Amino acid sequence: MRALPFLVVAALLVSGAALVAKALYIPVKAEVAQVLLERAFERGVASGAPVKPWSWADTAPVARVSVPRLGASEIVLSGGSGEAMAFGPTALLDDAARGITVLAAHRDTHFEFVADVEAGDLVRFERIDGGAVTYRITHLETVRWDEFAYPTHADNGILALTTCWPFGTHTPGPLRRVAWAEEVDLRV
Amino acid sequence: MRRITLSLDRDALVVMLILGITALLAIASSTLSARPGHGTVAGAALDAAGDAVRMGGTTEQRPSPRLATTSEGGLILRPVSSGAVATDVPATRLGTDIVANVSGQTARVTVTQAFRNTSEQWMEATYLYPLPDDGAVDTLKMVVGDRIFDGKIKPREEAREIYEEAKANGQKAGLVEQHRPNVFRNSIANVGPGETVLVQIEFQAPIAQVAGDYSLRMPLVVGPRYIAGSANANGTLSRASLLAGSADLIAPTADPNMVARAGGGLNPVSITVNLDPGFAPEAISSPYHAVSVRGSGSTRTVTLADGAVPANRDFELRWSASGDAPMLGLFKQRHGELEYVMATITPPALERVGEAPPREMIFVIDNSGSMAGESMPAARRSLLYALETLRPQDRFNVIRFDDTMTELFASAVQASDSNIAAAKTFTHNLMANGGTEMLPALRAALRDRAPDERVRQVIFLTDGALSNEADMMEEINRNRKDSRVFMVGIGSAPNTYLMRRMAEAGRGTFTHVGMGEEAEDQMQRLLDRLSLPVATGLTANVEGGNIDFAPRDLPDLYAGEPLVLLGRTRHLEGTLTVSGMIEGVRWTRSIDLKDASDSDVVAKLWASRRIAEVEAERWSGETSHERADTSIEELGMAFHLVTSRTSLVAVDDTPSRPDGASLTREELPLLLPAGWDFDHLFGGRVANAADWQRLADAMGEEERQRLELPNTSTGYLLTLALGLLLFLAGSLGGLWWRERLADGLASRSLRQAAV
Repeated sequence: MRALPFLVVAALLVSGAALVAKALYIPVKAEVAQVLLERAFERGVASGAPVKPWSWADTAPVARVSVPRLGASEIVLSGGSGEAMAFGPTALLDDAARGITVLAAHRDTHFEFVADVEAGDLVRFERIDGGAVTYRITHLETVRWDEFAYPTHADNGILALTTCWPFGTHTPGPLRRVAWAEEVDLRV
Repeated sequence: MRRITLSLDRDALVVMLILGITALLAIASSTLSARPGHGTVAGAALDAAGDAVRMGGTTEQRPSPRLATTSEGGLILRPVSSGAVATDVPATRLGTDIVANVSGQTARVTVTQAFRNTSEQWMEATYLYPLPDDGAVDTLKMVVGDRIFDGKIKPREEAREIYEEAKANGQKAGLVEQHRPNVFRNSIANVGPGETVLVQIEFQAPIAQVAGDYSLRMPLVVGPRYIAGSANANGTLSRASLLAGSADLIAPTADPNMVARAGGGLNPVSITVNLDPGFAPEAISSPYHAVSVRGSGSTRTVTLADGAVPANRDFELRWSASGDAPMLGLFKQRHGELEYVMATITPPALERVGEAPPREMIFVIDNSGSMAGESMPAARRSLLYALETLRPQDRFNVIRFDDTMTELFASAVQASDSNIAAAKTFTHNLMANGGTEMLPALRAALRDRAPDERVRQVIFLTDGALSNEADMMEEINRNRKDSRVFMVGIGSAPNTYLMRRMAEAGRGTFTHVGMGEEAEDQMQRLLDRLSLPVATGLTANVEGGNIDFAPRDLPDLYAGEPLVLLGRTRHLEGTLTVSGMIEGVRWTRSIDLKDASDSDVVAKLWASRRIAEVEAERWSGETSHERADTSIEELGMAFHLVTSRTSLVAVDDTPSRPDGASLTREELPLLLPAGWDFDHLFGGRVANAADWQRLADAMGEEERQRLELPNTSTGYLLTLALGLLLFLAGSLGGLWWRERLADGLASRSLRQAAV
């Protein structure tokens, strides 16, 4: 009789602590990974080839995406796997020939800033090979995850930042927010 | 004392156990839901229930992903609305006075617009304004000082030429053109510095009547309209031609800051209604404006309590009949060679015996940018109310649209608790944004995936702020099949023309729900009526005579609705018999046409109804465009009515603008309808319109490739909250346990001491 309450209390404390640790691990991992990725990216730009951020990584940085107005800057990883997305935005599609790039990241970590993106915002996309493109946000769209579609060909490059929608909720849903951006020529 | 403590302990223990179990479950579910990827979600707790149903909970899922929104192509982006924003107070100031004389079942309305030129220049001013969609404008008077010039009806182009010529000559001229059956434009040329010119129009309109309740609705402002994209089936229209087709609806919207600067308000309106319904009116009310009512017996005079009001929302006056409403009305008029007759017949209201049969209800809700402000909450509330009324044997679906659209379920689903919960979550999350592409949503709503015996009702909740009305009618006429389309007008200034004609083509009805408190109330009335028996298969025959009736194809009647028949004949005689089926029972009503009383409005109402019918034939493809235009022009000329093909023009014969003085053209800005969100519609977006347009065009014309998006929510905050909650519970439990331990030790030492 005396052991039971003790066990319950202990179980609650342990599971609570475990849950907190598990939860905090996500943003911490996301932040720390970005620091490591940033370094790997810099080295990658210097060497001209992707560099693994840590020895056991199965993904490598391919680009840096930033929105100067919001002070947001994230390193983009290749491949759209769930594992990679824990560390940074991933390129679901990056087809230089057709000029279309689709990025995805979590709405509560790396792509939290997408909530504040507005039409007209400039987005900088620097590739590991040194090439950099500036896009301007043209419009925002909310679609179901299975109803998203991108143009197969566009005269100017197109970048889509996709993340879960609505912001501020914490349970998964079928809707996705897409910020569409079009390449702009800033050389003028 | 001890017993109580013990039982409390047990309770506490139970609470903690429950907390613990909940926590373990939560861990399990959050672990699953936190996993990235778009896989299924195992019964996540809390408000995820709705989402879960959609994601993987039931078998009612869309079978395969579709390209619902984007394949429609065209302008997927908002070209904001039709016009620009006016930031300067206009040089020509406008005041409007409306006098409506209601007599029996019709109203004769006089609208006087005073154009006052406050500048030093000679001005030409144009003003876009709405009228009731079933009104028939037949008179134009232009008043300059003490001289009055009567307007003449002319074919549209000819009227325009006369006006332009007079304008060039320096003569004062007034022109009334129709752009939609409910949207008109007045132009007035050569108003001198400091001068005021009055433009007066008159029109005839029927009084709306449902179950003993009567109403006169007077729209006061044309809301900014969305210019829709590739609405036409051939899909090859360019942006330029789209704009050209809708250019007539474009007017600048007044910047609220400018309105504040304009002394005395912009576009003030005063309204007087002389009410003489033929019976003592009761419960006279105006839901959107404060009014004062004077008079007794069967006549009343209603005026605005505050004098003039801004022209930013519809004016509506409602009244009801004391005791039994007249079930019958019969009027006649001789016009030219022919006699015209109007018969109003109300079928008996049948009570439903037993429960209404199972239904399939498709709700289509507009969440475009024009709904931002007070309209979206009203639409949401109306829909939530409607969802509550579904019964388990009903099927339903919810479709939302702006310039994209989403069908909640792949096809209509059983109205189970979980499905309704999903629909509610979906509805709660709707935000007003984007353009108004109604056509894809209409197509989806009319597509009946599982046809059976059920009554299929499609209910649209929208403000109808679009410009491609004809495409909607065409779609309904072509693909309606057995569905019935009901229109619920939301907001302070809905597009009633679209609502009425869509409902007519869809053999349904149309209701305003307005805003705020009114929403649930009006929605309830509509839903009640929809659950009552319907009079179908109506026919009208005349024995011993021959009458050409409009409408030729009689509508179905919902509870309390009267059948209004307008007809013309060489000689009015014989017996009119109307019959139909109500719940499988034949219903017949005969009236002797000799009993008709004289009226001087019947002919014009017949012509106006006939014109609406020709338009409907045009959309359904029964009549070619050319032939429709020809008959509308003939009707307009014969009955002296402003139509899409005929305009009224008045010209002062003596020139007033001196040679050499230049003329400045000004388009008067419109107020934004009340409850609309200016910043949302126009805020910072206008400048970028060209950019979006280019991208939209590029995207619309291009082939598109589908790509599934991964789940991008870690939900760690939820996990964190749960962890903290558990930890807190554990800590509290620990404290409690320590206290109990201390108590136990204390009591044991007490007992030992006692021993």
